[in-house]
Amino acid sequence: MAKILIVDDSNMLRDMLKYALVDGGYTDITEAADGVEGLEKAKSTVFDLVITDINMPNMNGLELIQHLRTIPLYAKVPLLVLTTEKSDDMKAKGKAAGATGWIVKPFLPEQVLKAVGIVLKK
Amino acid sequence: MASFDISKYRSMFLEESVELFENTDTLLLKAEESGHLDDEEMNSLFRYIHTLKGSSASVELSNFAKFTHEVESFMDKLRNKQIPYQADMATLLIDCVDAMKTVLDEEVNGTLTSQSFENLTREYINIIKEISEGLSPNKQEHEAQTSTEPQANRVILISDDAFGFFDDDFIQQSETQNSNDDGFGFFDDEIANTATATKEFGIGQVTEDDGFGFFDDEIINIDQTDSISETSIVNKPTEDHFGFFDHDLQIKHTQLETSSQDTLPAQNISIPDTQITSKTLEEKKEATAENKEVKAANNIRVDLSKIDVLMNNVGELVIVNSMLFQLTDEIADIGTRGKVAEKLKLLDRYIRELQDSVMAVRMVPMETIYSKFPKTIRDISKKLDKKVDFKHIGDNVEIDKAMIEGLTDPLMHIVRNSLDHGLENPDARRTKGKPETGTITISAEQANGQILISISDDGAGIPADKVALKAVERGVLTKSQYDQMTHDDKVMMIFSPGLSTAEQVTDISGRGVGMDVVKTNITKLGGNISVATELGIGTTITIALPLTLAILDGLNIRISDKNYILPLASIVESLQPKSDMIKRIGDGEEELLMLRNEFIPVVRMHKLFSIEPEYHELTKGMLIVVRAGTQKLALFVDEFLHQQQVVVKPIDKNFTNVKGIGGATVRGDGSIGLIIDVIGILEEQKKYERRRLR
Repeated sequence: MAKILIVDDSNMLRDMLKYALVDGGYTDITEAADGVEGLEKAKSTVFDLVITDINMPNMNGLELIQHLRTIPLYAKVPLLVLTTEKSDDMKAKGKAAGATGWIVKPFLPEQVLKAVGIVLKK
Repeated sequence: MASFDISKYRSMFLEESVELFENTDTLLLKAEESGHLDDEEMNSLFRYIHTLKGSSASVELSNFAKFTHEVESFMDKLRNKQIPYQADMATLLIDCVDAMKTVLDEEVNGTLTSQSFENLTREYINIIKEISEGLSPNKQEHEAQTSTEPQANRVILISDDAFGFFDDDFIQQSETQNSNDDGFGFFDDEIANTATATKEFGIGQVTEDDGFGFFDDEIINIDQTDSISETSIVNKPTEDHFGFFDHDLQIKHTQLETSSQDTLPAQNISIPDTQITSKTLEEKKEATAENKEVKAANNIRVDLSKIDVLMNNVGELVIVNSMLFQLTDEIADIGTRGKVAEKLKLLDRYIRELQDSVMAVRMVPMETIYSKFPKTIRDISKKLDKKVDFKHIGDNVEIDKAMIEGLTDPLMHIVRNSLDHGLENPDARRTKGKPETGTITISAEQANGQILISISDDGAGIPADKVALKAVERGVLTKSQYDQMTHDDKVMMIFSPGLSTAEQVTDISGRGVGMDVVKTNITKLGGNISVATELGIGTTITIALPLTLAILDGLNIRISDKNYILPLASIVESLQPKSDMIKRIGDGEEELLMLRNEFIPVVRMHKLFSIEPEYHELTKGMLIVVRAGTQKLALFVDEFLHQQQVVVKPIDKNFTNVKGIGGATVRGDGSIGLIIDVIGILEEQKKYERRRLR
């Protein structure tokens, strides 16, 4: 069972994402409300996938990903950013931070599951 | 196909939006006063508005999202210094956010039309555009993309390519899908048999319109060993990674894609084993040691109803324990009885502690209410051209969460009254020798098992005579009553329904439906309200509330063969009167207790409840003096019994509201105890007195 960590400061969005994943069969979901909490949780459990929002207080998603990539255990774990735009700027920043890919919000559950399915197929 | 429960998420969004709006208001109010906005504040503002936009779009509040997007872009330019911040922009932003709130309200209620949306937002969109016009042309183009056409129908703002990958490996997977509406993409460059895959599945040209985000098309063709360059992470040869990206999986993937867009093979996902070697365990230990310094806020959101259930259950424990205690009397063997009683006492203690803990969960700081005031005060004072300083004390004083709703509106109304009628405008104040800026202070403190909240202003004070005369005019009072009233009594007339001495009813307050509703709401919470005022000096309104709605310290009293529970907090004293303490007035029907130079009306409880008492003579029974608001009453009962702490259960669901009864509980012996509502009795008494005077 894939362990997935979702990081977003909006309870509502975390809930939406969680239930989209749970409905898709991924029931082992852990939540964090900002980058700091996300990093803490990621350090104490090895997740198979991390999906993080970008704009969050205390530590944003890109910083979180940068931190995670410095941890050998997370070198190859798929890290996806949740973003409201798909601009070149976002892409450049995401890639530079070390993200594996992105998911645009608002999202449809099946799109999330598609993306997750692809990255977890390894 | 999985779908969202929009209504559930909408209410979650609305809940979150309250906090986001409050945070935004606080920041902007500060900026408006100080004249500047620093980088951190700008970033926070951007983040709040960005979150509002993103979340609202996810719950199909598309018009709100569209307007918020405009404000967000403006904030973005400000924080990127593309537009220099000017002091007056804070006011503009406050107005924009206010417009956002209105649009949100209307869209949620379904009353938003293209016309109203235009009216609410056009002005601000134009102003923002004008300011942004100072930008270079190509940036402007980017802005023009956003359509500001209002939509009457719900539209789901989901972009076409909702995901993408940087990792060529994933990229090829996505490419094999023919659909264009994938909302994701991959950046990651660890790569695989991309060349092979490409050949096999005949991938066409990658254009921007395709669903997937590719960074470097070239990388797709680069030999795997070279692809390590993009990210510093990949240490091992990339073959390991691609063990799972075998063609079989790829084929399966394509087949699934072309067959059905709707269902996804959620089950049977092969997960690679994350091998945890001893090396990695060490790393983990190191990591957890570091964790101790990284402290994240440990909060959970709990539905208030869950806590109510908890409180109820604990209350039942109290009752059953009480029953057990009473049953110990039936244990014949003294030794056993003693032991059991001892253990039950211990149990009682633990249950009380549990009760306290659950109570503590329900408590929230007054700050929660206070935070709503600055914006309202600023808005009204601007409208009225008055200068106000808002002070608040006792931010950390805690109050039962269940009371917050019932309390916020009354407090708001009182503050509005102060602003509207109490505080004079700067000129008038100067003439009176007062500082031009008036002060409104709200404070809270805990005392005697109650919370005392007071709102004071240094304004004009309440004209007691004027208010009382208005009441006479309205027929609420007779002239003779007026003549007998004290200054404080007259002031209390502001709580009469339908009263308004404001020459013109302002839309802020003064419609005469305010203060009486305030009093009713406070009464509903089990509290009382009093006023202290002096002409020319100011007014202080004090509200006393019980610490909680849930538990009550009560005194059991007996009238005839019936027992009732009287809230201890309202009891001043009790006595068995002597005949010379009782005075009769009117035609002898009305009785007063003379106690230390004070005349207190006597209420014959048996008459109120229509039961035959044991004693008819006041001197044979007991008089319990209670306080209801600023007034006292002497309740005539047969006997008073023991004190006990009870869990209050509301009764009005099943029974019509009986005046004088404010709840019920289950006693230790299993009997139902009705709890006396002192304020209700006072109101009945007043009605009775007025009727008599006609």
